[in-house]
Amino acid sequence: MIRYILQRLAGMILVMFLVVTIVFIIVRVTPGDPAAVMLGPDATPQDVAELRSRLGLDQSIGLQYFFYLAQLLRGDLGQSIFLNMPVASALLDRAEPTFFLTLFSLAIASVIALPIGIYAAYRRGSFIDQAATTIAMLAASIPSFWLGLILMQIFAVRLNLFPVSGYGGPGSSFFDRMYHLTLPAFALGLVSSALILRFTRASMLDVLGDDYVRTARAKGLAERHVVLRHALKNALIPILTVLGLTAAVLISGAVVTETVFGLPGVGNLVVSAVLRRDYPVIQGALLVIAAIYVFINFVIDMLYLLVDPRVRY
Amino acid sequence: MKLKLAFLLASALIAAPNMVAAQEKGGVINVATIGEPPTLDPMVSTADLVGIVTQHIFETLYTFDKNWKVTPLLAESLPSISADGKTYTIKLRTGIKFHDNSDMTSEDVVASINRWLKLASRGKQVAGFVDSVGTTDPATVTIILKQPYAPLTSLLAFNNSAAIIIPSEKQADTMTDFVGSGPYMLKERKADQYIQLVRFKDYRSRTGQSDGYGGARHQYLDEIRFVPVPDPNTRVEAAVSGQYDYVDSLPVESFDKIKSSKASQPVLLKPFGYPIFVFNTAEGATKNVAVRKAIRQALSMEDMMAAAFGSQDFYALNGNIYPGNFVWSSDAGVAGNYNVADTEAAAKAAKAAGYNGEPIRILTSRQYEFHYKMAQVAAEYLKLAGFTVDMQVVDWATLTQRRTDKGLWDIYITHSPFLPEPALIGSLSTSSPGWWDTPARKAAVDAFTSEVNPDKRIALWANVQKTMYDEVPYIKIGDFNAVAAKSTKLEGVDPAPWPYFWNASVKK
Repeated sequence: MIRYILQRLAGMILVMFLVVTIVFIIVRVTPGDPAAVMLGPDATPQDVAELRSRLGLDQSIGLQYFFYLAQLLRGDLGQSIFLNMPVASALLDRAEPTFFLTLFSLAIASVIALPIGIYAAYRRGSFIDQAATTIAMLAASIPSFWLGLILMQIFAVRLNLFPVSGYGGPGSSFFDRMYHLTLPAFALGLVSSALILRFTRASMLDVLGDDYVRTARAKGLAERHVVLRHALKNALIPILTVLGLTAAVLISGAVVTETVFGLPGVGNLVVSAVLRRDYPVIQGALLVIAAIYVFINFVIDMLYLLVDPRVRY
Repeated sequence: MKLKLAFLLASALIAAPNMVAAQEKGGVINVATIGEPPTLDPMVSTADLVGIVTQHIFETLYTFDKNWKVTPLLAESLPSISADGKTYTIKLRTGIKFHDNSDMTSEDVVASINRWLKLASRGKQVAGFVDSVGTTDPATVTIILKQPYAPLTSLLAFNNSAAIIIPSEKQADTMTDFVGSGPYMLKERKADQYIQLVRFKDYRSRTGQSDGYGGARHQYLDEIRFVPVPDPNTRVEAAVSGQYDYVDSLPVESFDKIKSSKASQPVLLKPFGYPIFVFNTAEGATKNVAVRKAIRQALSMEDMMAAAFGSQDFYALNGNIYPGNFVWSSDAGVAGNYNVADTEAAAKAAKAAGYNGEPIRILTSRQYEFHYKMAQVAAEYLKLAGFTVDMQVVDWATLTQRRTDKGLWDIYITHSPFLPEPALIGSLSTSSPGWWDTPARKAAVDAFTSEVNPDKRIALWANVQKTMYDEVPYIKIGDFNAVAAKSTKLEGVDPAPWPYFWNASVKK
């Protein structure tokens, strides 16, 4: 078990090194220049060259990579070219909206998907099952940003119940900031619920026909007890996986939804950084996102151990 | 008669408090912008968004009135210029405080101008003409030029790549303290969330009437918050819902939708600017001026503007570089060279010019959708005229990099607001991508920039425009309007290419 964990940790370090290297190379070979973006449309090539030199971008890619690695080993993600702050601070600033957006979206998705998925599997072939499956298929096909625009049109513009965009102004309360997350959380949560619902239904169908479920029923246990205690527990592994991966996708920044709703989250930060070629921010953000993915996968594998006694390493 | 007078007096007394109330101090406004400015140092960037935000924090010696004439701001009056046009004596206003409570002196102004000459794109444009910048007393600055350079005052007035005045001890190349002398001071910047400006209580406004960017700056508002809303559709919905007091840069298609809103009303700036096709005059197929002329002959400006802006409410066909409301407006060189759309004649002209089917690489971006739409129409006209077209659609950051490489493009598409002084037009510079550098350009532009008599300069600008039509370094496509939206409660905001809010107030 400890050996397995150590092997996984070594693998994680290797993955992170590869991510750092690949991201660095992709970012540097992509056309575009932060100096040209910063100086604006009327800057001359000479102005751009001077700023590139001040930013150290005129050095060879190999040298820049070496300095970047050395900086990472010191625990420093670098300094944003545009934001006038360290990349780590920029990411920390963006963590709150992204974290709570993820949490609310996941909560909305789970509250909708788990009971319906379980019920649809239990009543396989019924009207509710067919309706749930069809709606889930449709919902999975809807881009979350499109749903976001529809929600915005109805609830923000017509009914004026929620703000169209933003994350609250200076001094805004925690409640106010969360209030700004309502529409984007529903846009993401509703779309995510489709995938979770389908996984829940499929996973429950797999276990509901198993012998131990029949045995439980034969013993005269109540149906609720059979479904929720015996069947659901064993169906949880794939559900946990999809919940974890959905969380990883959301926490790494619901890129388009954050941009549409003007939320200052990680996704928005990455989009702005890519558009203006803020190299340190792109590199730092992708590194952190990759670390989150790797970590969540690791946690899911560890959770398997707890949920399924048959899993042993 | 007495009754009439009494009625008028009573009406005036009733109206007066309302008028006063409308101009009362107080209130906070939220301004939705197209994104986060790349920097808050307006010297180092020519991006419009930087100027829009920072003009509230920093001030220049001069600015522009509503007729785009230079008017003093931190300077007491317009500069005294010596007879030979080489010495500018600038008297400064006294009692001006910076946001750190220090007093502005001529030392600060000299240090700031030197920083501008060193760092700013437009400052560097001037630097070659400047012999020295010095002080004669705490309230007087003298700029001595090596040769006359008439656009100097306009350049000192412009809010873009701006010659802002900052304290002498805050002159580092990379600005970290944003200390100006403007009516609002920076309180907090949360990148991609808001930029919070608060009223500077020790601000010394000019007296008299407000006049464009010049004159009195009233500071009615307590706070101005600039909020980035990068998605244009979201900006439209935000305007309709009334979430923001002012929403900048909206798609023209949204005009009617905003007009039908109860919370906001559209603000139409007519005309705002002009799209241009810049030619690579240094390398490739378009190095040949006859090929450039053939391309111009093929193009339909009417179809391009219609595709890009839809209704004629939002564009006008106009070959003059400046529209009629500028003193610089001239039709020199335009006749027979604008909106020709004769693909057959263009094909013959291209053949006669020795064009052999080399791809014409059009570099454009969808950052500005109207650029892309114009490029599509242009490509079809060029194909009809026998040109081979290679459309290169890239993101804006890639475009701004690629255009600096002479080997990568033949035409790139950009746009500009109408700048108050033609010498500010970037494409006139020989180092600007396009690299227009000919004896005719030098003769025309040098004569224009060294002439100090305003009336003569107007005629000389017409000559520059004619030279541009003769040598085709770029093609102007037309005039277009800009649409923004303001809350029905917001007052004192006039349409402007770089909207300003120091005279704005919120109706109670």
